[in-house]
Amino acid sequence: MKLKIYLLSLICLLIGTANADLKNDDPVTLVEDITGQIFAKVSDNLEAYKNDEESLKDLVREDLIPLLDIDYAARLILGRAGRGVDQEKIDQFASAMSNLLIDRYSAGLLQFSSKIKLQVLPQRGELNPKMTRVRTRVGLPDGGEAPVDYAFRQTPDGWKAFDVIVEGISYITTYRNQIMPEVQANGIDSVINRLSRGELELTD
Amino acid sequence: MGVLLFSLLLIGCADTQNRHTDPENDPWEGFNRKTYAFNEGLDKVVRPIAVGYDKIMPDPFQRGVGNFFRNLDSTVTIVNQLLQGKFRESGSSLGRFLLNSTIGVLGFFDVASKVGIPYYNEDLGQTLATWGYHDSRYLMLPVFGPSTFRDGVTRYADSFYNPVGYAIHGNNRWGYWIVRGIDLRATFLDSDAAIKEAYDPYVMVRDLWLQNREYQIYDGDPPMVDYDIYLDDLDEQPEATRGQDPGSPMNSPH
Repeated sequence: MKLKIYLLSLICLLIGTANADLKNDDPVTLVEDITGQIFAKVSDNLEAYKNDEESLKDLVREDLIPLLDIDYAARLILGRAGRGVDQEKIDQFASAMSNLLIDRYSAGLLQFSSKIKLQVLPQRGELNPKMTRVRTRVGLPDGGEAPVDYAFRQTPDGWKAFDVIVEGISYITTYRNQIMPEVQANGIDSVINRLSRGELELTD
Repeated sequence: MGVLLFSLLLIGCADTQNRHTDPENDPWEGFNRKTYAFNEGLDKVVRPIAVGYDKIMPDPFQRGVGNFFRNLDSTVTIVNQLLQGKFRESGSSLGRFLLNSTIGVLGFFDVASKVGIPYYNEDLGQTLATWGYHDSRYLMLPVFGPSTFRDGVTRYADSFYNPVGYAIHGNNRWGYWIVRGIDLRATFLDSDAAIKEAYDPYVMVRDLWLQNREYQIYDGDPPMVDYDIYLDDLDEQPEATRGQDPGSPMNSPH
């Protein structure tokens, strides 16, 4: 169940951030404003995208990736396993991760986009200027709802999301504890290769 | 219950480990991995039954069974809300329990949710955590699965004021536990593939469980993960100041 919710929530993240034109000064507004708009965009062109998944992937690549801090996420996940690793390798790891995410998001979008109901909760207290959590509730097809949070951080290019937290379970923390030992045991090249082959156990 | 007591005997004394999802918080990893392997063996029998149950039972019925067990647990919630000083919430849970037990036909229908009475989930483990016994080491229980030392002990205590649990103490009514176990197992079927494919399934289960438990303890609003600590790892010297990794026998990945 939880892992299905992950997929749903990752898509919500996409839907919630897939518009680079938006003013990028408040993460809650960022997620909130464009939800309906992007829902409409994907639902309206659902058939076209089904027939041309590449164009959907392009859409994801262009609209989503700039709003995610993939490099930061990669560094968090690698943790101490990234110590002494060339920046080049870290970049490769990050891009293997993002390619994989693009594939998964696109596939998930086709499957779920019409079924998702997303409610963004208001910011509680003062907005931390460096790092914050946007809380949402995702309506599930069976009538229940799942609490899904997004971790955002302030970067020179504005707010960017780097983690998804479903019922308290952080994507970064969970993935990190799998990747770190794997890199330490098999080396980063082996992990990059595995990711490049499209194997990312977490979102299955 | 005998198994649980036995495992607690094996383990012994109390503890104050830092409870976060890093290997340091799993000092009994060796024992836990053995128990995990044992549970996996058991799952070879349980899983097919749960799969069958999931296939045969219509979803509404399955939801009803889930509601039924959840409703029985609300006595545990009510008591522990009182212990945590959440009096208003406790009253609300009592109302929920009464409504669902009557109009909801012994709890099969979650009428309370339909009329907007919120669902809370508390137990003695969470109560102790709010009282200050927050950090407890990870403990994989035979049969029952992931837990902590604190939660393993209190789980047993909680069963005394669960009405069914109370009724069956001293009896050999295994039926309740078996049905409940199968129902519970069925709710996790969706996660099986991901756990099986994980680099280290044991760690995956541990991380999922501990994080979700933290979420429960904080009633859905845990403090944000300190991501900076994750980054610090990158800057540390090879001989880390984090202390030795306790054993982490990564002998069974994949």
